[in-house]
Amino acid sequence: MAFRLVTVVFAVVLLALSAPAQALDEYQVKAAFLYNFAKFVEWPAAAFKTSTDPILVCVLGRNPFGNALEEAIRGKSIAGRSFAYRHVSDAAGASACQILFVGGDESKHFRSLLESLKPMGILTVGETQGFAADGGVINFKLDDGRVRFEINVEAAEHEQLHISAKLLSLAQIVKPEKLP
Amino acid sequence: MGVCTFISNTKNLSWTLGRLALALALTTLAGWAQAPKDTDLSTVSLEDLMNMQVTSVSKKEQQLSKTGAAIFAITQEEIRRSGATNIPDLLRLVPGVDVAQIDANRWAISIRGFSDQHANKVLVLIDGRSVYSPSFSGVFWDMVDVPLEDIDRIEVIRGPGGTVWGANAFNGVINIITKSAQATRGGLVSTGTGSQDHADALVQYGGQIGQDGDYRVFGKYFDTASSVFPDGRQAADGWQGGHAGFRSDWNLSQRDTLTVQGDFLHTDESQTLTTLFSNALPLAGTINNPVTATAGNILGRWNHTLANGSQMSLQVYDDYSRHLDSGFVDTQNTVDLDFQDHMALGPRNDVVWGLGARVIDSQYGIGYDFTIVPHRRLDNLYSAFLQDQLKLTDALSLTFGSKFEHNSIAGFEYEPSVQLVWTPTEKQTVWVSGSRAIREPSPIDVGLQNDAAIVPMGSSFGVVELFGNPNINAEEFRSLDLGYRALVSKRISLDATAFTGLYRNLVSLAALTPYAASQQGVSYLVLPELFVNGGRASTYGAEFFANWNVTDHWRIHWRISPGYSYFHMNVDGDSSSLAMPAGVSPNHQFQVKSLLDLPHHLEWDSMIGYVGKLADGNIPAYTRVDSRIGWRVGESVEISVVGQNLLTPRHAEFPDNDSLDHTLVERSVFGKVTWRF
Repeated sequence: MAFRLVTVVFAVVLLALSAPAQALDEYQVKAAFLYNFAKFVEWPAAAFKTSTDPILVCVLGRNPFGNALEEAIRGKSIAGRSFAYRHVSDAAGASACQILFVGGDESKHFRSLLESLKPMGILTVGETQGFAADGGVINFKLDDGRVRFEINVEAAEHEQLHISAKLLSLAQIVKPEKLP
Repeated sequence: MGVCTFISNTKNLSWTLGRLALALALTTLAGWAQAPKDTDLSTVSLEDLMNMQVTSVSKKEQQLSKTGAAIFAITQEEIRRSGATNIPDLLRLVPGVDVAQIDANRWAISIRGFSDQHANKVLVLIDGRSVYSPSFSGVFWDMVDVPLEDIDRIEVIRGPGGTVWGANAFNGVINIITKSAQATRGGLVSTGTGSQDHADALVQYGGQIGQDGDYRVFGKYFDTASSVFPDGRQAADGWQGGHAGFRSDWNLSQRDTLTVQGDFLHTDESQTLTTLFSNALPLAGTINNPVTATAGNILGRWNHTLANGSQMSLQVYDDYSRHLDSGFVDTQNTVDLDFQDHMALGPRNDVVWGLGARVIDSQYGIGYDFTIVPHRRLDNLYSAFLQDQLKLTDALSLTFGSKFEHNSIAGFEYEPSVQLVWTPTEKQTVWVSGSRAIREPSPIDVGLQNDAAIVPMGSSFGVVELFGNPNINAEEFRSLDLGYRALVSKRISLDATAFTGLYRNLVSLAALTPYAASQQGVSYLVLPELFVNGGRASTYGAEFFANWNVTDHWRIHWRISPGYSYFHMNVDGDSSSLAMPAGVSPNHQFQVKSLLDLPHHLEWDSMIGYVGKLADGNIPAYTRVDSRIGWRVGESVEISVVGQNLLTPRHAEFPDNDSLDHTLVERSVFGKVTWRF
């Protein structure tokens, strides 16, 4: 009886599914984007304490990457700076970061977070509709299963970040707007 | 080929269909078995990255989806939106957990059977601290309190977890994990009142200590109303309590963090007992029994990350509790030391190992109709465990290991398990696990003396007296779990588990030869029953749940989560001889949760839960409907109104249990304001 129950439950569930397309995990790709962004962004000197400080890549709140982000930056360096990963849970923790990823789960709080993050050279990266328009620097979008991104140039200037023309050319530029 | 012939040749149609469907499903799965290659994407150009096809995996599922165990997590968001005011009501959110309220301050909570107010087969942890009472291996749920706003998540493992968690992780593990102090900076005032929860107030403040430290302190008060008996009389089971605590988290260096936390709780309760009085046999009566609970603990945990990424943690805690119930004072002091090391050994092996030591100092008083002897005892528990996750291929991993324990009552025990996890694609996981778990005997199994019942015998009477057994052994559970998880689409995920298992050496009662006794000039016959390891039972069942994100707009978000669990247990021989009853868990449970985000910061959340009838105790099936409306005013204030058990005015959830008279759970309403500053 037990075995029959097992087989029926699993068989029905399995059959209910259609074969998925072969594809990469969204967050593996987003992790690679985060690493790539660092190549095309210049931080103000004040963003680092010393010239050899690592570029601190942070995830706010729940980490959707699993190990993918840590693996993407492990052993890498850009302009003499290595990378470090940190998980942060609020604005104070985020203040030391150079790249701050705000996952979809945190989207409800990101407006108040952005307000409490004074301009201190943080490349904020979100994945929620309206993130860039609301003051985030870069926002990921999914377009037909492909990762795209928006850049809010004013927000980048506010953070004193210099974004290379190459990155801007690949992005959709958004203007800040106030939500009602 | 001849499917029809195949069916006509087989008497059992459903059996055939099951096998046929399984064969089809396996064929389909085999077609998916090509896993994506592990590539280093960071060397890929931005343009190429933008052209890559990706699959979207939601966060919670991704974290849990590759686990070879039946695990379910309740997030803070779900906790906040449940409208629950206590931990037992929160556990109703987990498909497969039996939660039944016996009276206003007592619950029977279990997983996969053996539900009872003294259910002793589930391990419950708060931030790594075991909160089951060592005296009977069960949980006083009236002493399990955590400010709900501070809970990060509750992880529930259905089925044994003995290899990592050790003795008592027998039928399941409930792991309550609070937020770090960094996540609770600022002030929080939350007050609520309602028809059942008269008052519920929390005041909390969190801040920084220097550059690297954070703290929070909280104080809490609650006052819960009495419920009613089935005949409509008011019960005397209302209760009040206070709870204060703190948590501090320190970044000692880039590689070291330290957590120090502690709390103190006191409650005053009452309940209605129908009990014997051992010092005045054959006197029996129904009384209002005063209950007080006092508990305090302090815990420190140091985490260290090595340069190679391996993580070590060292945890020590001291836990004190004093519980007065049925005239019986149970005082425990536990000191526990725990070390764990998690490291990668080469590219294929992920190893966790650990060592633990625990010393428990217990003192027992004398209750109305029972006591535990000796009245003072010192127990210790030493343990070691090793578990390796071996990556066989990119898609297949094998986890195996065992816990080894030495307990001062039962001696040496081992708890091995093996799990095979197959992830044919990023969207699916199939897992199978087998394990042997044990429940260590506790002092009550060894030293109980309980006058359980009076049997009239002409002009005299007999007393059924239960005796613990110094030679009692651990209960054993061998089980097999099979699980499947899938992300069907961006919006729908599924999780299904089936299990079967065999219990041996369950504590049961064996009648000994009656003998004469007398007390204060009254002579009577003692009908002794001794605890022995005589019980055997087999079990099987299945649990299923799904998440469906109906809409995922920026402003309107609606999620529906249905769940269903089936459970069956078959006790060999006389089921009434088991010390822990097997018949008070429902065979069927069904629930649907709905979380709806509306414009203007409004939330409307509901839960419908059906619980099938309990075989013992004549408790009919019932359906609970809870609904909550929440409104966020600005950034800092949230107002909510919750209605619980809206469908019926009142219903019973559990029968009378160990002298405790059960009451009914009533329809109730609760309003709450939360202010953060």
